Amino acid sequence: MVSISISSVSKRFGSLKALDDVSLDIDEPMVMGILGPNGAGKTTLLKLITGIMRPSSGKILINGRSVANDPKNVLKDVGSLIEQPEFYPYLTGYESLRFVCRIRGMDSSDCEDEIRRVAEMTSIKGYLHRRTGNYSRGMKQRLGIAAAMACDPEILVLDEPTTSLDPKGMKEIRDIISKISREERHIVILSTHLLNEARDVCDRVTIINGGKLAYDSRAVRRSDIITVRVSKVPENMVINSPFVQEYRTEGGRLIIRKSTGTENHSVVKYLVESGWNVDEVTSYDDLEDKYIGIVGKGGE
Amino acid sequence: MAGRGRFLTVFTHYFTNYYRSRSFYVMLILILLISSLMTYLSFRYSNNLPSFLGGTQFQNLPVSEKENVFAFLWAFILLDVPVFASVFFGSPAVSSEIENKTSYHIFSLPIGRFTLLGGKYLAAFAVTLVVTSIYIAFEAAVLGIEFHAFPFPRFYISYGLLILFILSLTSLTFLISSIFSKNLYAYITVFIIYFLVFNVVEILLQLLYSYNAFFLLSNASSIVQRVFINVSTSNFSSAGSITPAGIHEVLTSSFVMLLYTVIGFVAALFVFERREVH
Repeated sequence: MVSISISSVSKRFGSLKALDDVSLDIDEPMVMGILGPNGAGKTTLLKLITGIMRPSSGKILINGRSVANDPKNVLKDVGSLIEQPEFYPYLTGYESLRFVCRIRGMDSSDCEDEIRRVAEMTSIKGYLHRRTGNYSRGMKQRLGIAAAMACDPEILVLDEPTTSLDPKGMKEIRDIISKISREERHIVILSTHLLNEARDVCDRVTIINGGKLAYDSRAVRRSDIITVRVSKVPENMVINSPFVQEYRTEGGRLIIRKSTGTENHSVVKYLVESGWNVDEVTSYDDLEDKYIGIVGKGGE
Repeated sequence: MAGRGRFLTVFTHYFTNYYRSRSFYVMLILILLISSLMTYLSFRYSNNLPSFLGGTQFQNLPVSEKENVFAFLWAFILLDVPVFASVFFGSPAVSSEIENKTSYHIFSLPIGRFTLLGGKYLAAFAVTLVVTSIYIAFEAAVLGIEFHAFPFPRFYISYGLLILFILSLTSLTFLISSIFSKNLYAYITVFIIYFLVFNVVEILLQLLYSYNAFFLLSNASSIVQRVFINVSTSNFSSAGSITPAGIHEVLTSSFVMLLYTVIGFVAALFVFERREVH
């Protein structure tokens, strides 16, 4: 079974502690989101996982093997995109992907199909035979994701993969990430500063702040709580319904915890009949509150 | 894929990137210009060496010695070619990975640093050799046409020593490159070490102690030309003999260059193995 175990990992740069005693275990296929402000230590953690850096203390095991001690073998199971990807400018996208496939141990004859597969997934097929020096930022990003996915590694480490992409590209990449995790049963570690991205894609979210792991939760999407945006509030605004367990108001929103088994439409029907003017119903999560709470405490 | 296959993949990847680069074409144009100029001078002065070199000892030389003088002159220029080529291809070898951020993509691949550095080293060596061999081809053609002298054994010995020189210089530039994170620092340091530090040390030792600094790469590399005529251009006490360097000097210089090759590469690997990208 694919797994990542991060035990008491710290990383120092001189007197600066970029990561401080971080521990995490991922032992089943999922999309793990890593959130945090700039300089929090997100990318440092990803660099440690991918062997680009070595921890000052602690250890990182991938499928039970130490990254620091045996990077050559351990990294066979890991595809990564760290920071904004750069390639050798005089080589084509095809040559860059072929290099990755060959280094990952793929036979020369199989490379062609694999390159076509990842190029189609990332929509760069038409650009494969151009030199990467002529690629736009977004094209390099897509090529970087294609390179990370080449040879279908069990673990994908992606550092802000949707940066530089247009909205359509962002959606495509998020769909790919979800598919890789849910259908192909791989682990995806996704660093992002976009809360909605984490909300849409991640099964589990951690927040790193000041080099420390400040939050770790699997409950990214709460199915029992909904946010209802309302434009008209009745004079008698007491909600007394068997569908609603508890509620509170926040500006023009109602945050409602539903009773067990209650469907959204039952709550909406009750509200409308009680004189509320319902504009929008969305599922609620407390990620933003948590994030602001943590980062605001002493982050940026 | 076996280690040798990976090595070949790395070599091919970097060699392709090198020979398509602007640096390669700049070097190619320079080499063609210098080779053309040397070809012109060789034909122009082949029968009038004293007016070109100014020494009376070059008058009435037999053909076999005249060909040595010309081979020496060609090698004199040749010695700077690998220096420039190595600076172009070797100096940014590691520093560019850091500066251009290609390291994030490369260092996270399942490949040993030895294979990575070794493949890249051979690619830089090969592309330098290709550039240098164009000059050698001009030289061989001129010597062949003008003196009907090609091939002659010392020419091959000189070429073999040149290969050793390129290997040692590439090792030195890789070592310097592995220390820096900026290409410019690596370029400047290689130039300063080779053209300034080596020369100053050599001249000072010569002037103050009459000591021949055989252990310096710049000194050892001069064997490439001294196999034709044993005159060191930085040796002020040189008697100006037109006899070739003896076997002892050839072996000593070869050994020094071999040491630079091995120690330089091992030290570069030592630094590279521990290199982290922040």
